[in-house]
Amino acid sequence: MTSPTDQRPDLPAATPVPPAPGAQAMPVPPPPEQVRRVPRGPRLAALRRPGPAIGLTWLLLVLAASLTSPLWLPYGTAEQDLARRFEGPSADHWLGTDDLGRDLLTRIVAAAGVALTASLVTVLVALVIAVPLALAAAERGPRVERWTSRVSEVLLALPATIIMLAVIGVIGVRTYWIMAVLGVLISAAVYRVLLGVAQSVRQRLYVDAARVDGLRSWMVNARHVLPGMASVVAVQAAQLFGVAILIQSGLAFIGFGPADPEPSWGGMIAVASRYVYTAPWMMVPTGVVLALTVIAANAVADGIAAHAASVSGHASSGRRSGRVTLLGATHGRADDVRLAVPAGAGTPLLEVEGLRVATTEGPELVTGVSFSVGAGRVVGLVGESGCGKSMTARSLLGLLPTGVRLTQGALRWEGTDLLAGGASADKALRRLRGREIAMISQEPMVALDPMFSVRSQLVAPLRRFRGVSRREAVGLATDLLAQVGIVDAARVLDSYPHQLSGGMAQRVAIALALTGEPRLLVADEPTTALDVTVQAEILSLLRSLVTDTGLSVVIVSHDLGVIADLCDDVNVMYAGEVVESGSCEAVLASPAHPYTAALLEANPHVPEGEALPHRLPSIGGTVPAPAAWTSGCRFAGRCRFATRACAEPLVLTAAPGVPVGAVPDHAVRCVRADDLSLTAAPEEDPR
Amino acid sequence: MSATLPTPGPSASAVVPALEVRDLVVRYGRAPGRLRRRASAPAVDGVDLVLAPGRTVGLVGESGSGKSTIAKAVLGLQAVSDGTVTFRGQDLTSASARERRAVAADLRVVFQDPYSSLNPTRTIGDTLAEPLRLQGLGAAQARERAVEVLEQVGLPGEVVDRYPGQFSGGQRQRVAIARALVCRPEVVVLDEPVSALDLSTQAQVLNLLADLRDEHGYSFLFVAHDLGVVRFLSDDVVVLYRGRVMESGPAEEVTQRPRHPYTQALVAASPVPRPGEQAERRLARERLGVGSASTASADPAGCPFASRCPLATDTCSTERPALRLLGEAQVSCHHAS
Amino acid sequence: MTAFVLRRLLMGVATLAAAVLISFLLVHAGSGSPGAVVLGPSATPEAIAAKNAELGWDDPLLVQLGDYVGGLLTGDLGVSLADSRSIADDMAARLPVTASIAALATLASGILGVLLGVTAAVRGGWVRRLATTGAGIGLSLPQFWVGVVLTYVLAIRLGLVPATGYTALGEDPAGWARSLVLPVLTLAVGGAAIVARTATTGLEEALRAEHVRTLRAMGTPEWKVRYVHALRYASVPVVSVLGIQFIVLFGGSIIIEQLFALPGLGQAAAAAVSSKDAPVVQAVVIVATLVVVLVNLALDLVVAALDPKVRTA
Repeated sequence: MTSPTDQRPDLPAATPVPPAPGAQAMPVPPPPEQVRRVPRGPRLAALRRPGPAIGLTWLLLVLAASLTSPLWLPYGTAEQDLARRFEGPSADHWLGTDDLGRDLLTRIVAAAGVALTASLVTVLVALVIAVPLALAAAERGPRVERWTSRVSEVLLALPATIIMLAVIGVIGVRTYWIMAVLGVLISAAVYRVLLGVAQSVRQRLYVDAARVDGLRSWMVNARHVLPGMASVVAVQAAQLFGVAILIQSGLAFIGFGPADPEPSWGGMIAVASRYVYTAPWMMVPTGVVLALTVIAANAVADGIAAHAASVSGHASSGRRSGRVTLLGATHGRADDVRLAVPAGAGTPLLEVEGLRVATTEGPELVTGVSFSVGAGRVVGLVGESGCGKSMTARSLLGLLPTGVRLTQGALRWEGTDLLAGGASADKALRRLRGREIAMISQEPMVALDPMFSVRSQLVAPLRRFRGVSRREAVGLATDLLAQVGIVDAARVLDSYPHQLSGGMAQRVAIALALTGEPRLLVADEPTTALDVTVQAEILSLLRSLVTDTGLSVVIVSHDLGVIADLCDDVNVMYAGEVVESGSCEAVLASPAHPYTAALLEANPHVPEGEALPHRLPSIGGTVPAPAAWTSGCRFAGRCRFATRACAEPLVLTAAPGVPVGAVPDHAVRCVRADDLSLTAAPEEDPR
Repeated sequence: MSATLPTPGPSASAVVPALEVRDLVVRYGRAPGRLRRRASAPAVDGVDLVLAPGRTVGLVGESGSGKSTIAKAVLGLQAVSDGTVTFRGQDLTSASARERRAVAADLRVVFQDPYSSLNPTRTIGDTLAEPLRLQGLGAAQARERAVEVLEQVGLPGEVVDRYPGQFSGGQRQRVAIARALVCRPEVVVLDEPVSALDLSTQAQVLNLLADLRDEHGYSFLFVAHDLGVVRFLSDDVVVLYRGRVMESGPAEEVTQRPRHPYTQALVAASPVPRPGEQAERRLARERLGVGSASTASADPAGCPFASRCPLATDTCSTERPALRLLGEAQVSCHHAS
Repeated sequence: MTAFVLRRLLMGVATLAAAVLISFLLVHAGSGSPGAVVLGPSATPEAIAAKNAELGWDDPLLVQLGDYVGGLLTGDLGVSLADSRSIADDMAARLPVTASIAALATLASGILGVLLGVTAAVRGGWVRRLATTGAGIGLSLPQFWVGVVLTYVLAIRLGLVPATGYTALGEDPAGWARSLVLPVLTLAVGGAAIVARTATTGLEEALRAEHVRTLRAMGTPEWKVRYVHALRYASVPVVSVLGIQFIVLFGGSIIIEQLFALPGLGQAAAAAVSSKDAPVVQAVVIVATLVVVLVNLALDLVVAALDPKVRTA
């Protein structure tokens, strides 16, 4: 029994038969940031790859040659020449002759017509059954789906090849009918793949929107659901085509094909196999043509799948992930003003200087970010999507995504530059990860390993970091869970991540981060995916860890409220650079950069007792894409105070109000900072 | 303020409400693969709300509160287990597809995720024209109207021939708003329309919605989780927890002087971008003594918030509190004052 | 979990019932009759009719179906029309041949495929390109052709193994192993290709997953990240594919057994179809379905053991 899904379980566009663990997770809409930055590379690469085009050309060529064969083939398919049996290639017989001296090229080409069209019959029958059933099951929900899926499961478990033999026993060798039966048997496999796709397309909101428009059900399917499935249907069709050719020729090989003298690929190979001792050449031409035809069909399928994957922005990359390398050692924007070291601290725990991060082939994502984190301090990185704050945070652990590298900058841990001498950030930071620096992230549910219990996920690092026995480690794990506010630690220890709520999972993730007793915690949007009351609980937990254990925290957030709640210092990022930096109090209470001020004004959480404005002050436009960043002020295009001077390159300078000559505790990247008074009452939105 | 109060009888309101929901119960089918007898807890459990013409009612709550389910039930995207949904006096609860189509032009929606709410294979013009063509408008007229409404939402009319892939999140949300308004509706359901947007874009879209409402008199059913956002756009607010109404009333009253312990917890938990004030709010929140969300357990007989509530007594876990008038708001709590 | 197993068992019974019904109907839909098959082409119509009556062919269909199912429940698959031997005995002799080829081929596919797939995912670059292209070609090659090529190279040119024939395990274990080399290798080419693809994509997805980043952020040694955590994550799709492969290879044995003259189920099926020996065809369909059902059940249990989400559902 063979089916397209069996043959090719790795369809990228379809999430087919064997679901990976975690694949059942809720479909999360891609964050705007990611969608905007869809790399154009893979899409072009998919089109550049010659495979699919060559495959399609081959299939069409073979079909055309076969259909026109009576017009140009020099021999008849049954034309024997017993004097010239078992010949190799020659000028008369380009591909040689068979056991009866018949021309192999002629027979191969003549057989192609039935091989291809009968396989097409299988494809069409399977799709005609599977597509409407998948659409109906996805639309009608569990009540219908349960039954169609059960029937498909039964059909799928029937041994298709043997049943086809039984059918041949009844109706004889009637190729098109037999291939139609194969189409019926195999439709179950196609249905299962298409059902998954149809269900996921139906979850897209534009389908709901069309229903709200009042579109009839079949129109919704035809106009919105089916087009969304098109690429998977095409991939399935191409794969199925290849499978059908293989099965058809396999049947002919064992004698259930067209009777001699009518040629068939499988039958010709069967004859060749009989003479393989004496005339091995004979099996080469037919076998190669058959293999090439199936390879062509699969290449077309791969091409469609790769194209669909790149269009939807999920192109897989074969490169090694998580690698970063340091290129130069010169630091950008060295003339940025240095902020005062927070009082009460000697050498800061971590100093970041001139950090630059870039994609391998494209633009820079972070251009010269500097800040320092003192012991027991909480430093915030705040800004909108696409500002480079997450990339900055991930650089602190040397864990950038595939295709993104730390290109320049210094990371000084207790005064020692980890990247000195061109060391790779990945390597340099490896010995600090877990022990000195730990991380928690935005999606706690997927940050924990779905295959292991909480117990084993906590015990392994505890044993590694603290060198304790398994038993002691379990005790420590229980203590840690209690420390992060989990009441029923025993039950949670035995749980798997999918059994935890989001807030609970984030607590476990924090406990995990604490196993190595790190001194710095990097928290990347740790509460964004959580409800507001849960967010408050997690923020309180982080705060108590800071006060109780002296932990330092770098927190990334888009929410100024979260920053205000937790941070001592804050860096406001815009388009890959820090535009304002200083103590949380100074920056949020008296913003010196128009962007910071605008963000604060746009926040609808006005001070208690104050009335909401009739309209919210807003910033027109959007954050520019990395490729469009200039050396001048990158906010100028959206800034209501912009002048010609804003196009000039600029550095961080002491904010207004900082005494001249003093080491500043508040810096701003704005040429007009001194003549603006941004703390005044917000103006009406000029829109 | 009459908009959200469950009106005692038809005489209480002279105007026919644009939208009225009574005793709404929505039960999702059992989870796949589970035994059939165990009925799931309802996602929406006896919710009332009234939306008067030209008003905006905010539905606010955390995940699992049932706010989006109510929106779906109103739009006919989710089957109703019990209760009624009435649109301009017409019962839509079990409306046929044909009846639904008849009100499709007047009852519209804007979804949360601007990326999946526009079909990437169709131009903006196709998407906007679809409902108009269904209303019987010619292709040319539909296109003309599409251009007009795009300009209304602040986009240049020529984008009508472009595909959604070429737009940013904020721009896409403007297109989604244009689709909702293209047939000059009466009621628009806004299902978390700004949650996926950045702060600066969020303000743009909120202002746009407010402008359009004030100019054209639309009624909005505004689903959101952020109290600040709800307060900005809504006249009245309904606070939901686990499918039940905890508190409802005028937006200022509910968000500034919350009476229900859950509303108080919700208000106290949302952080403000002013460090000093936020520190005080944090202390105030801790003083409230609300139990952790992870310890919550539902007892169908009583108040769903009882296990986390600082005011809870035995009554709360055995007796379901009815909505009662406190000040200007309706509060579902035995002990709130 | 018990409910899960019960449900799977129920589905298995339904599948078997479908196989019985379909094969029964196919046999009776044909134009021939068993009498004609038994007595051969020279028999008179009267003799054929008498023979048909003797075989119960003229009874109402439902009665025949009832008799057949009754027989099945006692392990009786009827007798062959060609040689009147018990089909059940014949199946019992043939099943181990086919099953051992399919099992060994699955094992070989698994080992080769996982090694290749993991190497491709971990090394990346040109190694991956080479491996995925190779796998793409491997799963496109017709099995019977690969078999002939391998026979030519390994048996004829190099003389390492016998080209055809089967030696029973009890007779001569070494000979048994040698007689299985070619069929198993032939089947494993395509199987390994599919397993390799699944392993590569599964491992790559795992290595990109958020939880792997967490592990790296915790300073977990890279070998542990790859071969304990990521591989465990990728193991579920790989095991599913291996199970499916067993079923596919089991079905593919029809062709391979013809090619290498192995006395398995496939050979019996092909011969029975040629000689219109309907009860044998029917029996092969049912036995093959039973194997598929059992393998599927085992597969479900293995996946449940591997994936806590399935296990705790």
